[in-house]
Amino acid sequence: MAAGFKTAEPLEYHRSFLKENCRPDGRELGEFRATTLNIGSILTAEGSALVKIGNTTVICGIKTELASPTVDGPTKGYVVPNVELPSLCSSRFRSGPPGEQAQAASQFIADVIESSEVIQTEDLCVEKGKLCWVLYCDIVCLDYDGNLLDACIIALLAALKNTQLPEVMINSETEQPVVDLEKKRPLKVHRHPVGSSFAVFDKTILIVDPTAEEESLSTGLMTVVMDEEGRMCCLHKPGGTALSGEKLQDCVSRAVARHTEVRKLIDKVLESMKMDT
Amino acid sequence: MAPSLRTLYVRPNSQSDKSSIPSQQPIGKHSSLLENMSPMKLCVPGERLCGVEDCIPGTGTYLRHGHIFASLAGYVLRKNEGEELPVISVVKETEAQLLPDVGAIVTCKVTSINPRFAKVHILYVGSTPLKDRFRGTIRREDVRATEKDKVETYKSFRPGDIVLAKVISLGDVQSNYLLTTAENELGVVVAHSEAGVQMVPISWCEMQCPRTHAKEFRKVARVQPEYLQA
Amino acid sequence: MPVDHRRIRGPDESFSPRLFLPSGSAKCAAAEDRRSGDGARGNMDVRAIFARCGLVSQAKGSAYIEAGNTKVICSVYGPRETERRDETEMKRGKLLADVRLAPFSCRKRGQWIQGTEEKDLSQFLLESLRPGVLLQKYPRSQIEVCVMVLENDGAFLAHAVTCASLALADAGIEMYDVVMGCAARRSGDAVLLDPTFAEEHDEHPSPSGKESRLTLALMPAMNQVSGLQAEGEMDAESLVEAARACMEGCYKLYPVVQQTLLKSVRKKAPPPES
Repeated sequence: MAAGFKTAEPLEYHRSFLKENCRPDGRELGEFRATTLNIGSILTAEGSALVKIGNTTVICGIKTELASPTVDGPTKGYVVPNVELPSLCSSRFRSGPPGEQAQAASQFIADVIESSEVIQTEDLCVEKGKLCWVLYCDIVCLDYDGNLLDACIIALLAALKNTQLPEVMINSETEQPVVDLEKKRPLKVHRHPVGSSFAVFDKTILIVDPTAEEESLSTGLMTVVMDEEGRMCCLHKPGGTALSGEKLQDCVSRAVARHTEVRKLIDKVLESMKMDT
Repeated sequence: MAPSLRTLYVRPNSQSDKSSIPSQQPIGKHSSLLENMSPMKLCVPGERLCGVEDCIPGTGTYLRHGHIFASLAGYVLRKNEGEELPVISVVKETEAQLLPDVGAIVTCKVTSINPRFAKVHILYVGSTPLKDRFRGTIRREDVRATEKDKVETYKSFRPGDIVLAKVISLGDVQSNYLLTTAENELGVVVAHSEAGVQMVPISWCEMQCPRTHAKEFRKVARVQPEYLQA
Repeated sequence: MPVDHRRIRGPDESFSPRLFLPSGSAKCAAAEDRRSGDGARGNMDVRAIFARCGLVSQAKGSAYIEAGNTKVICSVYGPRETERRDETEMKRGKLLADVRLAPFSCRKRGQWIQGTEEKDLSQFLLESLRPGVLLQKYPRSQIEVCVMVLENDGAFLAHAVTCASLALADAGIEMYDVVMGCAARRSGDAVLLDPTFAEEHDEHPSPSGKESRLTLALMPAMNQVSGLQAEGEMDAESLVEAARACMEGCYKLYPVVQQTLLKSVRKKAPPPES
């Protein structure tokens, strides 16, 4: 009976739960799904992290390469983030070049990196005007069940904290770089941006951490990115229902609380990794 | 500790088990691992279940060289159905994957209408939901059994209606599944009025909106209790 | 080189730091025998695998395999309506396979644009799986197999085959048999089963100079080979020898695959009332 109602009238089905201040998966409106984290499992990447928020699974791997800096920024390196939504992660995506959602997510992550200053690109400089590091941050979704952006930011942040750069010298005779893979230094992570996503139902009801189904039925989506000092790095609200300032304030306070939770999780996992070695 | 993602891939409720290095026992076609504690026999695809002289092959099995093999990973069931031999089948989860077949009663949602036919998405086969949507077509001449030439598709269905129908053909290269509603029990079961309220059937060809009391034309199904769940 | 406007682009040129290692520092991997660092693994031993079914919530069926450091995930969608139709597909279902390597899965960063290599891999996977599936049960439908290699520490294609067939079985797609994959590398007279990345890309070839690699797909209950790919120089006898070794490797892993499937069946549903 319930299954039939759910398939035939998904919106009514969700409304009947929201009326009772809960959601079909048993969560309260302001409750995130269980978030788990695994750091440093991909040995071929210089830094990596796998994040699960409920069913949504995202993996970020960071590869470092050497390049010449641009003429505009001779003391700056590059951070190149890309989000991939392969056909593997949901039946809604096709294989081939990235679709609109993947492109938008990549741009969003790039904006978060730039505005939050999570990495100072000056740290990536090896020799001014000659050589710098490129951080390729490839984020792959393995299971798409909504709230992609939050998962991407956590995966990126945890992977950056796991990244080690090998030592590079420039040989003064040949002018060629020499890399020592034995000596590595951790990448300096200056800020810790954490995102919180919200969905608006029927123009008034606000829920956090929407699932894929909730996303598709909602009338608006919004992501707030905060850093550890309670500053807003990024606010992403692609159209949808208009929101009052009051509601927006609610979202911001929820995002601040979420930041503490996620920060604790990352620190805990990093700590347990230190214990193991 | 070797770097591994497996911690994330073990569900909280499953007991933590080590990855087993394959045992070096001689490999036979039936490893003893399969005859384990579970009272009901389990099998994997390719496992030989029995000979044709012992059983009749049912769902989830196939015949090869006079033997019955499993084609699914699941529970092995033997059922006596009054025949001389029991039927052997392999069952996975509670309901197996179904594809719409000729004669099946399906529940569908109308997506578009034109004067010649209505297009639908098939949501259910019997009472089993389909995970992926299949498209079907109800042609004008298959809407009802009598006065076929007077049928107007616009007076029979509207987009968004939930319709019970029967599969009459898998269609040819160009067309989708062909469906019919030309029986009393088939037709619209759920429809919304222009005011957005679910309507109540008042005759075999009309439904009424409880709020505005406006009447709209539909090919209404006389709903049978066993299909009420849809 | 086509410019990709749909992704965030980095500098036009960048180089792996491995290109700038001081000369002579490249470590020698043992040419003909397993390194002592690989524990007690003999030349004919396969790595222990960790396998699980049903972790991608959105997919009909899915599986994840870890063999040493090689990590592969696969999901299966369908049977669903075929997108393009032609006469031949009406009576039988159509199987589609897509193999992707995550850019961070190899030592050198890969590109997102699917290259010819990935197309070849997808083709091998497809041809290895197809004989195992009862496609006549799925008229008018297609079944999609998507594989993502998360880390390549050797023999990833072989493990992708095993992973894909686990995902198909998890999806409840009817199959004649599971399909298992195993790889081997031949260097001189020695055969290394289930090689690691370092063993596959040994920079110090054996004196005899004969280097070859083999990937084999086997349906273990039927004892039939459904896929075979060999590259490098090999005479007929050593090809047969290496193929035999791979088949043995598959049989060694078969019990693990059986257990994985049975476990997932039990977890999904209790035994039905008979």
